[in-house]
Amino acid sequence: MRTAFGILLMALPALASSQVRLPDFTREQLPNGAILILLPRHDVPLVSVRAVFRGGAEIEPQGMNGITAATVEMMRRGAGKRTAAQIDLDLDFLGASLSSGANRQSAYFSLEFLSKTAPEALAILADILTQPAFPEDELRKVLAQAADRVRSSKDNPAAAVGPYFNGFFYPAGHPYRHSGTPDELSVSRINREEILSHYRRMAAGRNLIFVAAGDFDAKQFAPLARKIAGALPAGEAVKAAADAAPRFERPRLLLVDKPDATQTYFRIGMPGIHRRHPDRVALLAANTLFGGRFTSLLNDALRVNAGLTYGANSILDLDRLTGAIAINTYPPTATTAKAIDLALEVLSQFSGRGVTQEQLDSARAYIKGNFPTDRLETSDQLCSILAELELFGLGRDDIDGFFQKLDALTPESVNAAIRRHFSAGNLQFCLVGNASAIEKEVAKYAKSMKVVSIKTEGFMPPDF
Amino acid sequence: MLLLRRVPFALMLAPFAMEAQMVQVTEHTLSNGMKILIHEDHDVPNVALYLFFKVGSRNERPGATGISHFFEHMMFNGAKKYGPKQFDIEMEKAGGRNNAYTSRDVTVYTDWFPRTALELMFDMEADRIRDLSFDPKIVESERGVVSSERRTSVDNNPFGTLYEQLNATAYIAHPYQWPVIGWASDIEAWTMEDLKAHYRMGYAPNNCVVVVSGDVTPAEVLPLAKKYFEPIPRQDPPPPVRTVEPPQLGERRVEVRRPANLPLLMASFHVGPARDPDFPVYEVIETILTGGRSSRLHQRLVEKEQLVLNAGGGVRPSLDPGQFLFTFQVRSGRNPRDVEKSLYEELERLSKEPVPAEELQKAKNQILADFYRQLKTISGKANLLGDYEVFFGSWNEILNAPARIEKVSAEDVMRVAARIFAPRNRTVGTLIPEQGAEVKQ
Repeated sequence: MRTAFGILLMALPALASSQVRLPDFTREQLPNGAILILLPRHDVPLVSVRAVFRGGAEIEPQGMNGITAATVEMMRRGAGKRTAAQIDLDLDFLGASLSSGANRQSAYFSLEFLSKTAPEALAILADILTQPAFPEDELRKVLAQAADRVRSSKDNPAAAVGPYFNGFFYPAGHPYRHSGTPDELSVSRINREEILSHYRRMAAGRNLIFVAAGDFDAKQFAPLARKIAGALPAGEAVKAAADAAPRFERPRLLLVDKPDATQTYFRIGMPGIHRRHPDRVALLAANTLFGGRFTSLLNDALRVNAGLTYGANSILDLDRLTGAIAINTYPPTATTAKAIDLALEVLSQFSGRGVTQEQLDSARAYIKGNFPTDRLETSDQLCSILAELELFGLGRDDIDGFFQKLDALTPESVNAAIRRHFSAGNLQFCLVGNASAIEKEVAKYAKSMKVVSIKTEGFMPPDF
Repeated sequence: MLLLRRVPFALMLAPFAMEAQMVQVTEHTLSNGMKILIHEDHDVPNVALYLFFKVGSRNERPGATGISHFFEHMMFNGAKKYGPKQFDIEMEKAGGRNNAYTSRDVTVYTDWFPRTALELMFDMEADRIRDLSFDPKIVESERGVVSSERRTSVDNNPFGTLYEQLNATAYIAHPYQWPVIGWASDIEAWTMEDLKAHYRMGYAPNNCVVVVSGDVTPAEVLPLAKKYFEPIPRQDPPPPVRTVEPPQLGERRVEVRRPANLPLLMASFHVGPARDPDFPVYEVIETILTGGRSSRLHQRLVEKEQLVLNAGGGVRPSLDPGQFLFTFQVRSGRNPRDVEKSLYEELERLSKEPVPAEELQKAKNQILADFYRQLKTISGKANLLGDYEVFFGSWNEILNAPARIEKVSAEDVMRVAARIFAPRNRTVGTLIPEQGAEVKQ
């Protein structure tokens, strides 16, 4: 494959036509507080449903990181009169696909089925959402599997660098420090009682956003959807954590030692923004130019010109709380410092010089051109975007007015945002690689530096 | 434990009828032999332009393995009209994005862009197909990029390491034995002449299928194809791959020892190419064994015996005889030999006991639903059309695909399973962690 950029850009809400508009949908609040959103559209004979519970990593008790993901996995492992195996069988027999997961601010189920099978598929989802049994034997299995997945991720530095970066970047007590990722330690603490109590906290009408899009007739479908989404007790709305943007007084460096690694996987982070931040659209354009596409400054310097890596990019978090802007790449062990130097030089020039009108025009066209296929083409994409708007308390104008906001950007406004957020000072370096080969030369980046073995349990750094 | 229900007959039939409308295609062959397939879909104002060149690692030779993939990278590094970096710069400026992939059989260039960039893309694609430039400095820099790609996907990835060793063991003669990305020493060693020879061999218009899917009409596309692609001269296509893999005479095994927390197990069985009349049977067998959580191997190995974290496997369409490949991430403290034993029992059961009617129907429903999932996007449709044209002889075969699956009987499954899963036809690879499986403080 030529590049992995496509995958990274999925995280970025990214036309050349003048404006973009969400298709028409209905939104109602049910008596139990649940929000029901329906968007009928007739393309392929498939329906997508997304059931989202507010909370995610933000409501995980201390030391119980990963419990949200474990809870949603357990919800499909026995519910109503169906065993785990029966649910798997019933879904597969319908040709339906069900995925679930947890992120920083929510847990979700994503179900896709052939339109003719709507009553059967929805009945299965109803059982999962409202009548999970949480059998003890399934829980033991799920937790043991989660522990092995952690071990497996430590065999792949590309997978391990993210959790290590989060543990290092966010302060103790911050919900993003674990970001809902389990580790060997938390998995040993989670039990059925904790899962049950987490389910009751999370699975309440007031926390539920239920979205369906696809090949259905709204008149027939709405009563079915209301019945499912309205069946949960109203419960209590989760209390959202207050925003606490990470702040750094000095540069720090965490080196995770994986002696057999032949390249160094690194992230260099700085405090960023949240999803509702007024600088979001300006930073989407800025980050596109800095490290969000193939011709971005980072990828051009490190990959295209220097041939040091298969790809270099920057990630702009857009979550409910303030996240990071992080440079991300993986040079060979021997050229680790050369690659970091180059990345820092690109950052320094970008934060100093900003962007030109020509660059801004190109970024704007890129974001607009990719937006329809990234976010609005399929029913599951529409479910995802509608749930996102609801989750972040945004209205449809966030999408319908998106291109107008892009059009209103000027080099001055973008450069002001760059000065506010892209800073070459007090950077936070997280490296996974062969410590004995690179420890000395990377010490120059931060006086405050710690080394930890990848064999140490968990992803948390030593105290700095 | 099987509590299957029958699916209403109407469920199966109704979607079948719709599908011919969903995959309407205008087909045209230019005078230089380049085939153009156009599919209209006006849901979003975008276009997917896919170029399938029928050249891949099967057309390589020892000493220059991986050159198809390397060439895929070089196609973005400058031609006569659009110089170095210009393809990407112009494309992104016009709101587009691209990627490309190389397999054993094909090299595919994938362009996604707003409809306003249609003519630009035809101009840039024609420029690089006809007049690619070969700057020695850029070749050296791109060598570094591909080496990094290899380090990421093979050296620093236990799955990639074992997969490469397994294939090198499963094939003793046919070019499918070497990795698509190439051996590390070849990546360091290939020459400018190798690159130019590959370009002359693979990048002929008569060796290419172009698929345009999205917010376009044939009346827009065909004049552009004639203007930009038709003047590219026809050349000789790649020479036929003469080597035929000889029948395997007994089980082959390969072991990899490296630092890792968890073991891996893979097993490969030789099967026919995409045009093998039994290919639909392979697909049904794949779904029964590994399709979804209710599949036989998932239920037994992941859920019941808890020997593995995941049970993957199946067939991919190929031009020459391919593989039925199983992959397992073995759980910590478990023995790959136990996974093998259970796997072989399941394969034997499939070859000796007829699959219950409900289970067979379940597999067919899953395949049909997955088929629709590929039709959700313009890029999914472009890829499907190109795959069918290249691997199954014509995009038209898409329309027959559901009926071919429907025809597969329980007897077919038994007959084909008995043939392909014979012990002498298998190659087994295990990755044994060099350090203990437990992570200690």
